[in-house]
Amino acid sequence: MVDPVHKEFRKREILYSVALWLLSLILPDPQLHYRKEYRLRKRDLFYFLVILLLPLIWSDLHVHHLMILAGIHAILALGLSLFLGYAGQISLGHAAFFGIGTYTTAILTTQHGLPPLAAFWASGIAASLFAYLIGKPLLKLKGFFLALATLGFGEIFLVIVRESAGLTGGVIGISGIPWFSFAGFVFDTYLKQYYLIWIVLAGLVLFSKNLIRSKMGRAFLAVATSEDAASSVGIHVSQIKVRVFVIGAFFAGLAGSLFACVMSIANPETFSLNLSVLIVMMVILGGMGNLYGPIAGAVILTCLIDALAKYQEYSLPLYGVILILLLVFFPDGIGTRLRVRLIYLISYWGRKKRRERVDV
Amino acid sequence: MDLWATIPQFLISGITFGAIYALVALGFVTIARASQIINFAQGEFVMLGGMLTFFFLKGGRLPYPLSALFALLVVVLIGFLLHLLVIYPLRKASLPILLIATLGASLFLSSSSALLFGTLPKALPPFMGKTPLEIGKFYVSPQSLYVLGITFLVLISLYLLSHRTHLGKAMEASSTDPLGADLCGISRNLMTFLAFGVSAGIGSIAGIFITPIFYVSYHSGILMGLKGFISAVLGGWGKYGGAILGGFVLGVVESLSVAFIPSGYKDGVAFVILLLILYFRPKGILGSPFIDSRRW
Repeated sequence: MVDPVHKEFRKREILYSVALWLLSLILPDPQLHYRKEYRLRKRDLFYFLVILLLPLIWSDLHVHHLMILAGIHAILALGLSLFLGYAGQISLGHAAFFGIGTYTTAILTTQHGLPPLAAFWASGIAASLFAYLIGKPLLKLKGFFLALATLGFGEIFLVIVRESAGLTGGVIGISGIPWFSFAGFVFDTYLKQYYLIWIVLAGLVLFSKNLIRSKMGRAFLAVATSEDAASSVGIHVSQIKVRVFVIGAFFAGLAGSLFACVMSIANPETFSLNLSVLIVMMVILGGMGNLYGPIAGAVILTCLIDALAKYQEYSLPLYGVILILLLVFFPDGIGTRLRVRLIYLISYWGRKKRRERVDV
Repeated sequence: MDLWATIPQFLISGITFGAIYALVALGFVTIARASQIINFAQGEFVMLGGMLTFFFLKGGRLPYPLSALFALLVVVLIGFLLHLLVIYPLRKASLPILLIATLGASLFLSSSSALLFGTLPKALPPFMGKTPLEIGKFYVSPQSLYVLGITFLVLISLYLLSHRTHLGKAMEASSTDPLGADLCGISRNLMTFLAFGVSAGIGSIAGIFITPIFYVSYHSGILMGLKGFISAVLGGWGKYGGAILGGFVLGVVESLSVAFIPSGYKDGVAFVILLLILYFRPKGILGSPFIDSRRW
């Protein structure tokens, strides 16, 4: 015999679990990688479909341009997320690798006439080469001092770019970089560029998803948790740090190359400290130790900056205030905090109803 | 040789620069000795000190000492507010979050000062006399002597604060041994709060004293802050003497570098020094009370 009260409970139980499942579709569990082996889930396909269909549904040129920028920022944030979110190291010089990628593509295509595809790979390799040379000595530092040292590297990069006018065009920069082209297919409209960037991003996400579940990816997490414990189980800590730095810089180099091909200009003002701070902000807001988070953070922050741009001179102070407010209220990422709150809320409704029933 | 003849003049300007960097560095060290936090908005206190004095002097038509005093008070208030609104809510947050939060505060302060006071660079009139003093064959501006004097005055008062008063000792205890400080009944949040006020005060004094020599504009804060931090690390992180020494070394090396390499590279010199010191001797020249115990 099933009494009506019990039946009512069942119905609610199902309702709550459906709500939670829907929630998990939109906001992934940030600590999923600790628990389950990786395979392509429905959620990944769902995201991919959204990305593919978005520009077709919302065919506004401004939105396309915005999403191109967001995609480039997302590649940058994904690379830094491996370094900051997984390996737990801080870098405030990530914009410099982005700049190295941009300038490599700009110089190779305009001065040496290389095809953009070759320049694309060359920029990634150039950025990771610099990262290896810089990272070897620098990554011995920790905490604030690592942040400061990478910041110093970024500033030195800017000074060198501004001063060596023969190679990089100085303060004016290099313009007239050709569109990205691949086997005779030229990416010359916003829509084509959108697909180019987001498909590159999808490939990099797939790469990172496999990477963080490999032996090396587990080592990142171990290094982030405790370096002493990691080295005691046989992880070569300094080597792992250099490797994750190089991989992050490779991503940034690719992003820089895409940026050069899309905007067809390379200018030192683009790679200042503000960009580095913005990338770190994206990773923090997306939630550390989470691959989709930085991408969401990149989209949110790029849209935020664009929305603020119409307030003109008030945009920068407003941006600073929103940055601080976001940090104060969502210190472990918007997704994580929202997820925790919503789950609490849903389960609270459930418990409240049940309590009332039992009391009767 | 013409180059060698100009070197003493470069040295003199280097010492002036050094005193400024040392003042900014003292602000960093004050906070670090109370809470291990690094406040990247320190440079903005310097900028605001100069800006607000200019504003009270020219806009409010107040006498010079009074406008400097008001600027000092306003900046100390901003320092307290920075702690209450940004640092205190994030006291349990991890390091990158704190870092980005202070950088965000610095962005907010610099851009809103551009909004309030305009983007043109501003200069205050010197305290006393524009004619440079002639010592031998070289010229020293009287304002440089003021800057040197105030640097040592601030150093001495900070030394007295931290070694001769209960408050200073409590501040230091809350950084070196947080648990012990808690057990002794020291409120660590209050100590950090006070340290932010003191540090903002030092920053604004630096701003008031250097604006007669250099122009101050809304974006000059961040570079000034970074160079002050570099001097603090160079001399020995967490030591008042180290901050002074690091400031002078950085100032002199930077000025002398202008004689040998193109002046566009001048801003890069400080960061090259930073990378070298972090690589070869992270403790700094004088050694640091914080670094060797924590295996940075």
